[in-house]
Amino acid sequence: MLSPTTNPPAALAAPPIRAWRLPAATWLLAPGMLWMALFLVLPMLMMVYVSFWTQTTFTVEPQLTLESWVTFFTTPAYLDALLTTVWLWLAVLLASLVIGYPVALYIGLFVRNKVIQTGLLVLCVIPFWTSFLIRILAWRPMLGSEGAVNLLLMKAGLIQEPLQVLLYSPLSVVIGMTQIYVVFVVGPVAFMLSRIEPSLIEAARDLGASTLTILRRIILPLSMPGVAVGAIFVTIMVLGEFATASALSGRKVNMLGNIIVTQVGSLKWAFASVVGVVLTALTALVVAALLKFAKLREEI
Amino acid sequence: MSAALTLSGVSKAYAGAAVLRDISLSVGQGEYITILGPSGAGKSTMLRLIAGFERPDSGRVLVGNADVTAKPAHARGIGVVFQSFALFPHLNVFDNVAFGLRYRAEQPVRDANTVRTAVLDVLQLVGLKGFERRQVTEISGGQKQRVALARCLVSQPRLVLLDEPLGALDANLRNQMTTELARIQRQIGATFLHVTGNEQEALAMGDRVAVLDGGSVVQFDRPRALFERPATPRIAQLLNAYNHIAAGDGTWLIRNDLVQVSTQDAEPGAHAVRGQYVASEYAGSRVLALFDVGAGRHFEVEYHLGHSRPPVLEAGRSYTLCWNPADAQKHPAVH
Repeated sequence: MLSPTTNPPAALAAPPIRAWRLPAATWLLAPGMLWMALFLVLPMLMMVYVSFWTQTTFTVEPQLTLESWVTFFTTPAYLDALLTTVWLWLAVLLASLVIGYPVALYIGLFVRNKVIQTGLLVLCVIPFWTSFLIRILAWRPMLGSEGAVNLLLMKAGLIQEPLQVLLYSPLSVVIGMTQIYVVFVVGPVAFMLSRIEPSLIEAARDLGASTLTILRRIILPLSMPGVAVGAIFVTIMVLGEFATASALSGRKVNMLGNIIVTQVGSLKWAFASVVGVVLTALTALVVAALLKFAKLREEI
Repeated sequence: MSAALTLSGVSKAYAGAAVLRDISLSVGQGEYITILGPSGAGKSTMLRLIAGFERPDSGRVLVGNADVTAKPAHARGIGVVFQSFALFPHLNVFDNVAFGLRYRAEQPVRDANTVRTAVLDVLQLVGLKGFERRQVTEISGGQKQRVALARCLVSQPRLVLLDEPLGALDANLRNQMTTELARIQRQIGATFLHVTGNEQEALAMGDRVAVLDGGSVVQFDRPRALFERPATPRIAQLLNAYNHIAAGDGTWLIRNDLVQVSTQDAEPGAHAVRGQYVASEYAGSRVLALFDVGAGRHFEVEYHLGHSRPPVLEAGRSYTLCWNPADAQKHPAVH
């Protein structure tokens, strides 16, 4: 009665199930894709489009023109803002790496106890328990001419007059931003370093390498993906900054973000879009370069 | 035979718990020594002390005639092959092997051609000719093992420490590497110290085997002498080839391949026990028959299938297990 042919082999039944599984799993992406399409891709396309609209004093007309673009690239004040954004970003990135890397080195490599490691990383995040605005404004009583730093330096007899350069200067903006963003370097770098096998360092030592050589030839290269991820975090956040710059520079330092805020405030949508496109392109360029530099795809 | 390595009275404790107790041994130049011990016996600690990654609490470590107890790892002229290979994942095979020559603090080799010749020579020695451009993340476990070996041999160490070098390999590769390691060691004439938890490996590879147990070297002998005359019942247990029979004031050790199984009662005065057959364990060229000799104790009888056919055994039936008195060793009870 029951011949082998009446019993369909499992192999015949299997393909439809497999074919059904793949699109089913893909549907999991749908909410995220929809969200990104509606609130990221579409607005970005819109921004590029609006940047070519015609701007009058109070309105924008959908008549295509290069006027806003020409204004941006021929007005020294705006080019200055672009330059300021770039060098502030470089300064903050450098400061974050110089301050953050040794801390990450300590946490990731020299603290081998996972609990203490996590505890130290949590300590780094504690400043984030207060609001962004308070963290920035707290620098004023710290760096002001009658502030804590000047007071201490004068008491110690190192300076006679209060240092005016500390507050409402590019320096205070760099200090303020570094304090906020340095932790984004510490985290990823410490994570990469904690994954280095201790036997790797012992092997290098056994082969005769000095501590400095091990640091340069083994530890530094192996931590590079962490450095790149940290740098990407810092880059994305600093390039789009405007609050720290305006609060700690007394509105003397203008970044591209500050320009956008002012232009939107005076309803110059077309011009704000130009700055937005420039800023987005700059960010994309830097992030792409960092990704290429770290060859992240191979490491993670 | 001049000593390549001497340990004298070496002890080490962690947080008050002794890991190594007063270890003294001397290894000749060009010897292949295996160190056999169960996990927790202190094998890795012993290796790390010799390599210089740890300092002994007391005692001295001599390489050749030089006291290296206070010297750091890189100044000892000892090569280490790590259990997990510890290859540098961001470097290719060539750069891994060249690392020591290029970056050592003392007398680094600056000339690229000299480095190249040395690296290619040693890759040829370990059978990895043509692999120099490969990434170490892309090669197999056995190849990684060879790279690790090449990386340590390129500096021409007098003494090479291998921490369970075959532990991470599958059985097939293990057999292959066993032969390879022996060949390479003979070819370069360095002294090899090979730590393992596998008694077969220790016996097969070592010119001499040091048995480490509870932080002490309990026997240091040629493989055959060790296997045929284990110094204590505990060592016999580690060799995994002996039956223990308690006999009043001591223990009899009977090798499991020197036992006859029969259905007849033992003759008066013969050395024998009665045991109930439990099951057999088939292992290709040999088979292990398990008997219950009472009180939950097991007795193993091994048959080498190439030499003899095992008798047909019936589960649950009682058999006489007898042996030649000359083959049994009596050890007094340890108090």
